[in-house]
Amino acid sequence: MLHITRSSECDPYREDVDAYRAALETWLATRPPVFEAAARPIASYEQRVAVSCALMQVLFDQDWARYGWPEHLGGLGGDIRHRAAMWEALARHGLPAMALFEHLEILAPTLVALGDPGLIGQLLPRFLRGEQLWSQGFSEPEAGSDLASARTRAVAVDGGHVITGRKIWTSWARYARWCLVLARTGTPQERHRGLSAFVVDLTHPGVEVRPIEQANGTDELAEVTFDEVPVGPERLVGELGGGWRVAMHILAHERGTFGWYRHSFLNRQLLENREQGTPAGDALLGNALLDLAAVRAASGAAVRAHAAGGTLGPRAAFVKLMLAASEQAVNDWTLASVPDLAVAPNDDHTAVCRQDYLFSRIVTVYGGSQQMQLDTIAKQILRLP
Amino acid sequence: MTRGGDVGDLQEQADQEFLDAACLALRAQADASPDGAGAGDAAVGGAVDDAPGTRSDPLRELGWFDLLPELGDRDARVAALTLFRAQGRELAGTRALGALLAQPFLAAAGLPPDAAVATISRTSARQGKRLMVVGDVADPAGAIGMAGTALLIDRPGHGAAVVPADEIELWPVAVSGRLELHEVIHGPADWVPTVDEEHAAVARARARFLGRLAAALEILGAAEGALALAVAYARTREQFGRPIGTFQAVRHLLAWAQTDCVALEKVTTAAAALDGVQAAPPRHDEVVKALAGRNGRRVCERALQVLGGIGFTSEHTHHHFHSRVLALDALLGTSAELTHGLGAWLREADDDTTASALWTAPRLPLLPSKS
Repeated sequence: MLHITRSSECDPYREDVDAYRAALETWLATRPPVFEAAARPIASYEQRVAVSCALMQVLFDQDWARYGWPEHLGGLGGDIRHRAAMWEALARHGLPAMALFEHLEILAPTLVALGDPGLIGQLLPRFLRGEQLWSQGFSEPEAGSDLASARTRAVAVDGGHVITGRKIWTSWARYARWCLVLARTGTPQERHRGLSAFVVDLTHPGVEVRPIEQANGTDELAEVTFDEVPVGPERLVGELGGGWRVAMHILAHERGTFGWYRHSFLNRQLLENREQGTPAGDALLGNALLDLAAVRAASGAAVRAHAAGGTLGPRAAFVKLMLAASEQAVNDWTLASVPDLAVAPNDDHTAVCRQDYLFSRIVTVYGGSQQMQLDTIAKQILRLP
Repeated sequence: MTRGGDVGDLQEQADQEFLDAACLALRAQADASPDGAGAGDAAVGGAVDDAPGTRSDPLRELGWFDLLPELGDRDARVAALTLFRAQGRELAGTRALGALLAQPFLAAAGLPPDAAVATISRTSARQGKRLMVVGDVADPAGAIGMAGTALLIDRPGHGAAVVPADEIELWPVAVSGRLELHEVIHGPADWVPTVDEEHAAVARARARFLGRLAAALEILGAAEGALALAVAYARTREQFGRPIGTFQAVRHLLAWAQTDCVALEKVTTAAAALDGVQAAPPRHDEVVKALAGRNGRRVCERALQVLGGIGFTSEHTHHHFHSRVLALDALLGTSAELTHGLGAWLREADDDTTASALWTAPRLPLLPSKS
């Protein structure tokens, strides 16, 4: 598939986020069928992935999803604010979640910044179009919070590296074609300095993806093993031995700007469940509103910083903590409003409420546990001894 | 693309500089008063015995009143509101909150911004409707200028009136927090509105928005002050042969408190950049004020836990920060009542209203139309 960069000398949207947003909202207001299909509650995660991919394809083909990505990599220019506006508009018009396109906003900015332009120019449009999805191979059975102790090895050979090892909690691996793998190219004693990041094709022989059945039933996590899987030099992201920088770049997004996207879908969840609310839950609902306002303001600042070419650095930990608190607050209220989710999740709406509620109990674990975020703040912000 | 961000950074820097300047000015005033930083303690019993004319006025030194007619301008508004954060940090007691609340009414009446200080209405479960005055308005003989001599009383449904102070009897309230607080025990004999109800209704909405934002910023400053005490203590206080700040349990308490401060800071500064109640999402002032009360109290409680027993003594400053947060949470809507009210409103509002409450907040500053 070839995407030709169109002449964009006078593109009205690239320089004007408001105009882009207004046009997108006009299109969404016509309720395109592909959007309607993705906007209704669907209990089956596989079906949800299918309708999300169908929506992304249309969003790409109609150019909406190409804004905010560089022109030389298949985008139409603009910056993160276009993407922030797009996902907000989709949530506002009824899309319940980003599903596995959360990884688009977590991984793709790093691939764009640090990946091989030839490779990423090929793969980014397929990601944006929902054809070939991505996963992130960071955590290992013996390396959770202590990511720098990762053992998966990448051994240098003629024409690249050969990867062997085991990753776990790899979100969306069963749906993904590609995985960004953090592997050891140096010695274990080098800790974080001995790591490098590689793009691995999950369909290659030697890769095995084993889905993990989750407590909430969505089963998006997986365990992935690599048995001498070769990768060429163009598959290295960042520099050899620069894997930690790649990981930090990704985590800056996962902890900072990601709050912007996710909070918008929490707003949607709150809006959807409102009619089931009762006066007994009003204080919980009010509290959720306060937490969401905080995430919005803090993650908005993160988006602004990224649009200006910076990052929040360790301050992204604040956004991550606020986001987790807001997700739990929204779901505390959901549980109070929809007790059916605990005893009778019989319809799609209630089943999704149950999935969301249970998932909200673990948002303090993924992407760096709450305790790690607190440690970061204590050490790097408060400068405690 | 980069330019927009740099401008933002410069703006943040300028706002930070004003905050520092305001802190310095307020500190200088406290140091210059007869018993130094403890000046407010004397006021706890209502015994402010400065001779007329001996008190400097930090609000005038900062040119704060000059900002009030310019609140439509982003920089002036942010500077005027930033004073409150400084006031919280320094535990300073000025009449700024009442002056800010009075401003929309005074503007409607064609009066200068220092012509009166607004009273704040609250409902006491035991005493019914009460009017309160925050700050040094009871200073004798108007030594601080005309603002010491008149109060603005707003009576929804009946307009608002500027009333000379000698027609009103004030009673000092004894709470810590270095906050001069008075209750109106005798109002004016006759009601002659200075601003009729039609105009007062408009001024009231503006005043409430500004006042809640200001109170939220002062709570933020006081919470930051309490947290700074606890962080400094955790660095130096040793137990088991090492600073308590090396223990993870203590570190996490402080990190949570800092997170609550940052959340409040982001929300208040984004709201301050909004051009008043018209530009804000529905009931945003309530969101800001409710968040301030909730987070402010949580920060003080966590700081107290780190400080331990010494933080609970009257000689330690913590209780002043804590009491100030409690007092400000109790005025202009408590976090408990606002939070519950927001939930009830959100549950019953139509979809469009809810959507604008949820998605509009810092839209303008986040996404400038042209970069």
